[in-house]
Formats: sequence, structure tokens, C-alpha cells
Amino acid sequence: MLLGIDVGGTFTDAVLIADGQVVAAAKTPTTRQSLLNGVVTVIDKVLTGVDAKKIRRAALSTTIVTNALVEGKTDKVALFLLPGPGLNVTGLIPGEPHFLSGYTDHRGREQACPAEAEVAAVCRKLEDHEVAAVAAKFAVRNPRQEQLVTDWVNKYLQPKHITLGTQVSGSLNYLRRINSAYYNSAVWRIFSRFAQAIEAALAERDIIAPVYILKADGGTLPLTTAKSTPVEAIFTGPAASVLGIMALTKPVEPAISLDMGGTTTDIALWQHGMPLFAPDGARVKDYPTAVRSFCLRSVGIGGDSYVRRENGLLAVGPMRCGPAMANGGLAPAVTDALRVAGLIDYGDIGLARQAMERVAEATQTAAEAAWETLRLAAATVCQAVQDMLAEQAARPVYKVEELVAGRPFKPELLIGVGGAASGLAPLVAKQLELPWQIPPGHMVANAVGAAAARPTTEITLRADTAQGFYTVPELGVIQEFAKRRFTLQDAWTAAGTHLAERAAAGGMAEAADCSERLYEEEFNLIRGFNTIGKIMTCKLQIKPGVLMPVQMREAEL
Amino acid sequence: MKAASLGLVFFPAFDWAITPTHPEREERLLYTRDQIVEEGLLDLPAIKEYRPQLAGLADIERVHIGVPNIESLITDAHLLSAGGAIAAAQAVMRREVTNAFALVRPPGHHAMRVVHGTRGFCTINIEAVMVEYLRRHYGVQRIAIVDTDVHHGDGTQDIFYHDPDTLFISFHQDGRTLYPGTGAMSELGSPGAFCSTVNIPLPPGTTDAGLHEVLDRLVLPMLEDFRPDMIINSAGQDNHYSDPLANMAVTAQGYARLAEKLKADIAVLEGGYSIEDALPYVNTGIILAMAGLDYSRVIEPDNARCPRQSVATTNYIAKLVAEWQDIWQGRDRLRREAVAKAGGWWQQRRNIYYDDSGIQERQTETVRLCPRCHGYQLIDTQAQGYPFGMKSAFAAIIPRNSCPACRAQARDAVHKARQAGRHDCCFIQDKQEDILVPCGT
Repeated sequence: MLLGIDVGGTFTDAVLIADGQVVAAAKTPTTRQSLLNGVVTVIDKVLTGVDAKKIRRAALSTTIVTNALVEGKTDKVALFLLPGPGLNVTGLIPGEPHFLSGYTDHRGREQACPAEAEVAAVCRKLEDHEVAAVAAKFAVRNPRQEQLVTDWVNKYLQPKHITLGTQVSGSLNYLRRINSAYYNSAVWRIFSRFAQAIEAALAERDIIAPVYILKADGGTLPLTTAKSTPVEAIFTGPAASVLGIMALTKPVEPAISLDMGGTTTDIALWQHGMPLFAPDGARVKDYPTAVRSFCLRSVGIGGDSYVRRENGLLAVGPMRCGPAMANGGLAPAVTDALRVAGLIDYGDIGLARQAMERVAEATQTAAEAAWETLRLAAATVCQAVQDMLAEQAARPVYKVEELVAGRPFKPELLIGVGGAASGLAPLVAKQLELPWQIPPGHMVANAVGAAAARPTTEITLRADTAQGFYTVPELGVIQEFAKRRFTLQDAWTAAGTHLAERAAAGGMAEAADCSERLYEEEFNLIRGFNTIGKIMTCKLQIKPGVLMPVQMREAEL
Repeated sequence: MKAASLGLVFFPAFDWAITPTHPEREERLLYTRDQIVEEGLLDLPAIKEYRPQLAGLADIERVHIGVPNIESLITDAHLLSAGGAIAAAQAVMRREVTNAFALVRPPGHHAMRVVHGTRGFCTINIEAVMVEYLRRHYGVQRIAIVDTDVHHGDGTQDIFYHDPDTLFISFHQDGRTLYPGTGAMSELGSPGAFCSTVNIPLPPGTTDAGLHEVLDRLVLPMLEDFRPDMIINSAGQDNHYSDPLANMAVTAQGYARLAEKLKADIAVLEGGYSIEDALPYVNTGIILAMAGLDYSRVIEPDNARCPRQSVATTNYIAKLVAEWQDIWQGRDRLRREAVAKAGGWWQQRRNIYYDDSGIQERQTETVRLCPRCHGYQLIDTQAQGYPFGMKSAFAAIIPRNSCPACRAQARDAVHKARQAGRHDCCFIQDKQEDILVPCGT
């Protein structure tokens, strides 16, 4: 059996899956002050009458990291940067940077050496910092200087945790690596404590199975590995719903999915049965990071979205004022409109009608106000979808062929999941003139996604055959080889070996079989009029995805 | 006040090259891409990235006369490069950004009005296509083009040589020491547009100091006098000390400061072939300067090897500047004299060599100086080269504001040429009707 838990903004859900069937599901309000309480409650609910020892895998998506960042409950980070020549990042990154000498250029050649004395001096100033981060420009082309400085920081500052920029990403983008490394260290302590509490709570309930944490890219990480890269656990809620859709219904046609929860609707785009990824990474508090994530957009429309009149004009969301009146709340919400319009049949119809009467104009009936509310809510979601499609169409490309032959993304199906989907998603589909689908189990899609998600990881290998070495920054590897005797085929073979190595180190050796090529680039190096070598880049990943398709009978909703 | 923001069209054309080992090849903007992406420039709120578009043939033919036609001489990459410049212009005109930089390839400033093939790595003039697009679609009239490439922008000069609404300023390594050999001070525009072409040939070894001397004492004051509606920068990066095709000594800081002072509305990449040691730093510096960001830390790792400017060079530049100041002060008088001397007609005969295509062209250009309008131009061209042997064409160019008499005369000249049957193709490029009409023979 697989246990999946999703800690959402409004509800914490759990499911048990056996042989591809959801056999139990439970829901409880999210306890913001202590996330653990809600998690424990929902586990106890879903495990009623179940032998916990039969669980062979538990996976969790949590807002602990996101909340810690939003609420500012993070640690001060000693931030060491080797920026070399280029952009002055002061003011563009969270935290206070400490600049050091040393520079590696775009081909991974050392141009200036770092200085130990500088590091020692900075460390003396930062004695009260318990966590640190080190990031060097072009370290993905040669991680040596970043490693050297890390050794010195460990020697002079002895932090409890230190994050390297190359550890969080093997891709170019120094700014994003700095931000990722910074946040990773900033949330390290709070995440470690949460992880320990979860481990203890599961052990108390005789759950001895390995525990995984969901990542923003929809993959999972063993909890023990996640402790060193907690920044990967941001934005896992939307990722869980995407995985849930993958498990419940894998769309073959280009599709749009909407996860319509209590507070927000999260939009994702699908092609060839896979969600599209964000080109560079997720944003945290307006700072771009290198955390790989799905291409998602969130809009403030959900079942609990507050409905009111402002200067005579109807307004819906983006804030919520507790649950809908139909569910015992104090303010009118979208759910009330859905109830009055007859699109859902739970909640108190009388209270819902009162809610709609409160927002109705003098000449309007409650039902008319309800439909006006729903049209507006659907239009807001539609607008966000259109913006996202326009953004997708405007994405830059760097080759002639891609521009001349590239076709724009054109959706053919809309999939709705989440509490508010059954009422609202068909209205959005109608406005977008698309057929729609609401898979059975959509109410707990996030928990299903968490339960079924596969472990993932990726590596980047870059070879420079003129210089005769390749690097795998995520593993800190610099490997020399005979100059010019290295082919793209060799690069892929080496990448496969290193991916398996990284998977094994992360406790997911068996997953290495599901690898796929993410990116390939090969350039001839010409100097004078001679080809003196090649520059190759290969990115290989264990494919994000689900362990198996999951079904759920409507009766269990 | 709204903070400065830069629209960036980055199109490295990673799958296009003139030939595999040509300086203008797939690898050319690879290290620039690495630097831009590594710096995280595309994530900065002050920088917005735009995708290029395919320019239409009508956009190209508004400027060029291709012989026998332009389609057979270009690839999609050319349309995308010109379309990248247009996308940059649109972003500025729609006020989505305060200025824009089209970091695209292939380049264009050696492409002249008549095109028989590729010369100086250029087939179509992407700035000129953009300028005429701005005029056609946005009604922008007075435009200044400052060509900061190390090579003389002979193609752009040719296209705007008779247009008093376009001020073309090119500073470059002296043509006596570098391709394409033109760009002497004496090339000042035809009489009707006298002194709207400004050539500042600089001695080899000119540094940041020399360049900024020319900028501060000549270029910026000239721009102030001309009062353009828009400033375009033909941003070649080959004045850099490490460029393999030229002999100047400008640094990334020199270029960034230039971009900051010039305040171009749109910059379009031209040359620059030190792809590894210069382009990543120069382009980063220009992007930061145009976006109003701190560029003071953009310094090449090997900056120490940049030569110093000799005293002789400093003195030479001072003299050049003084001479140009005199011409510029007297430009109205000089123009009246040139028009009076020419009478109604002005003519030049030229040999034009297409280094990339191995084509030798002989061209006679006849300009009608009309007291009522901008007149018209007639071009008689004959080209010899592999694989076509010989080809010839006759064309009339009717500018935007031509009077009925000039229109009729220009058309008449083409019809006569067609009847004479000595040319393979005849064309009327009618800027008023915005059309290029091929006339069969």
C-alpha cells in the first residue's frame, strides 16, 4: 500500500492506494500553526482499520518551506560569493552578500585565484551565523573554486549546514543559483525539525516504510536526502495536483489542467501526456531560483473566494474570508454561488441563498447573482489561462528551425481537479470552447499525486574536448580525458553512469532505469579556420512521473 | 518617472552559418549566451526578452533591390535577423520598454541597396529594414544612425546617401587599413543630403579615450544639432582590443559607457568576432548600460593586455575632430554650394566587391536633384561572378515625397531601359506606394 499526504493551503488530505486503487481517503483542515497536528490527524483518519505495516511507501507534499519563507521564519545565512566580472548583484538577492576574489570563465578556465585570508576575515565577522552558502560564477563549468572556498568556510566558520550553488543546480544562471543556495540554507533548520517530527510520528504509528518528500518538479526525494536540499520542497502543492492528474488521467492531447481548491486555481499545460516545465525555475518571494518546477500559474479563484460588491460592481477573490456561508462561514463565497446555481449539492442551500441575496443587486434574484458570480470567476480563470498561453507563444527560441517550424501550443482538452472543479471547471471550459473532463478522485488528486509520484533527479554533463575535461557540477565532478577523443556518445554514456551514481547516493537506485535525455547541445570550436574541438552539453534526468495509474470509484468521494 | 527598461531580442541563430569555419558561424554568440544566462540578465525586472519574428519580403524590398530577386539570395535566418530588429523597434514604439537591443545574427551593415550576394558577412541591411519599417508603420521621420562597428558601414551609407532625414554617423578604423576601404571624410552624402553622412575614420590603436573624445566632441553635439526623433545604434563590437579582424583597443567599459552616453532608442548588433574574449563582456556591458544598471564590474579577465593609446594617435584624433567641427559648422553653406555646383543631376560610378560571394559589381548611380522634392535615383548595375556569370539590372527609386514630375520621369527612365533590352531585370522601387515592381524585359 502507498500512503500519500498533501498539506494544502486549506485542507490536508490523505489517501491509501493498493493495486492502483484508492482504498481510503480522508480530509482535515490544515493546521497552519503546527502543520504536524493536521498531518497526524489525517493519517489517523485514513489508517482507521488498516495495518500500518502493510504500507510500503509514504510520501508527503508540504507547505512547511513555503510558509517558512512567506512568514520570514528563516535563518540568517552567511553568503559567500565569487562573482568575477559582470553584474553587481547587490540588492538583487536576498541576504547580504560577501564578495570574494577568484574567477572561473565561461569555459571553466580559472582566471583568478580565491584567497583563503579573505574567507577567514569574513568568517570572523559572521560568527553568529549557523548556516552558510557559497556560490561562484561559472562553477557549473568548473566547481573547483566553489569547493575550495566551502572547505575554508567549514574550517573558519564551522556552520551547521552549508549549501553550494552547484549542488542546487547544474545549469547556467548564477543569480538563480545564489538565490537557491541562500534559501536552501535559510530553511534548512526549520525543515530538518519538521522532518524529524514526521519521522517520529510515523514511527509511533508503526509505519516503517521509507518516507519521501515531493519536489516542485513533481518528483520525490527520500526524506533523509531532502534534509540537505529542503529548497526543493517549495511549491509542492501544485506539483502534487499535476502528479495526481497524471495518475488519474493521462491526457494524450495538448491540455490545460485546473486545480481548483479553496483559495486558488493552479493552471498547468500538458503536451504528450507530460506537464510543461518552467524554463528556468521557480520564483521565491520575487527572487528567481534554480528550483526546477512545472510551468504553473496561480490565480486567486477558489471555492472559498470572497464575493462582494465594490461600488456596485461584483468582485470575486483573490482573498478568502473563511469558508462559504453554505458551509457555516460568515461571508459569501464562490461555493455559495455553485450551490444556488445547482452545480453542486453539498452545503446548506438556505444559507447559500442568503449569501447570494447579499451580493445581488436590487433587481436581481439570488440565482441571477449566483450566475453572475460564476461567470466572473470563470472569466478570471480564463484570462489567466489566455495570459499563460500568450506567454508560452512568446517564449524566446535560439534556433532558426524552432522559429520557422515551431507550432504554438494549442489546447484541446480541459481537465479539472480539486474541490471547486466539478462546478466551476465546465464553465471555464465553455468560455474557452474546449471539451472538459473531471476524473474520478479529483477531490483528493493532490494526495494521490503525492502517493504515486516517482523519485527523480537530474545531472548536467558538459565536455570541452579542446581542453580535455568534463564536469558534472551537481556531483562536484571534474573528469579529464584524452583531448579531442571524446564523442557525444561518450558524453551520454558518462552521463548515464553519473546519473545512476547520483540516484544511488539519494536512495533511489532502482529509479535510474527511467532516465530520459532532457537537453543536448554540441558546438564546434573553431580557432583560426580550424576545428580544435567541441563543446557538448548533456542533461539527463530520471523522468518525473507516477509509479502507476490510479483509479478511484465515485462512491468513495 | 518610470525606471529605464530594456527590451532584448536575443537570437543567436545557433543553426546557421555562412560556412562552418567562417567567423560568422554557429558558435559566434555561444559565449555571449553563456554569459547573459549565467549573469541572470534575463531574470532582471529591468530587462524584458522578446522573440524575433520573420520579416516579410515587403519589409526587405522596401529597402533592397535583389538581382534577380531577393528571395533567391537569402535564407530564413536573414528574415529572422531583420525581424529581430523590427521586434525590438516595435517594443520601443509600443512603449513597453524605454529602449531595445537586437542581439541578432547574421549582421547587415555592409548590405547596400542593390544586392547581388553576400558582402562583409551581410546580405540584407537589418538596420535599414528596421528604419524604413519605423517610417512606414509609425511615421517616424528624422532618424540618426550611429554606426559603432570597427568597419565602415558602407551599406547603410549607400542606402541613406541621398536622404536628408537620415543622419548616418560612422566611426571606424580608417578604410586605408581595413575592409571595406571606404568611409573617408570626403564621403558626405549626395548634394541634396549633404553632411547627413558623417564618416570619422580613426587610426588603428584607438582606445576608450580616443573613442570617447570623438563621441563627446563630435557625435553627441551633432546629434543634438540634428534633433532626431530616434537614435539607432549599429552596435558592432569589433573595436575591442581582442578582435581578430581589426586593430583597435576599446574595452567592454568603453563600449558600455558609449551605450550610456549615446542613449540609443534601439541598438542592433553588427560585427564583433572576438567571440570568446570580447563578446560576452562587451554585450553584457551594453545590456546593463542600456537597462540603466550598474556595469562598473564588467571587466575582461585579460584587460591588462589592452594597449595604451599613443601620443601620435591622440594628436591625430584631436586634429580630425577639429577638422570635422569646421565642416559641421559650415554644413548649410557647403550644402548650398554642392547643390549649386551639381545643377539638376549628380552621378557616381563605383566598383563594389562582394568578398563572401566573390562578385564584382559595376554600378552607376544617377540622382535627380529636384527643387520641389527629394528627386529620384537611377541605378544601372552589372555584376560578374560565380555561378551566374553576368547579370545586370536597371532600377529607379522614387522616394516618399516625390513630386508628380519626378515620379513620371523615374518611371519613364525604367520603361526606356526595358525597351532598350540591355538589362536582365528592371525595377521601380516606389516608396510612396511602398512597393517594388519588377518590370520584365
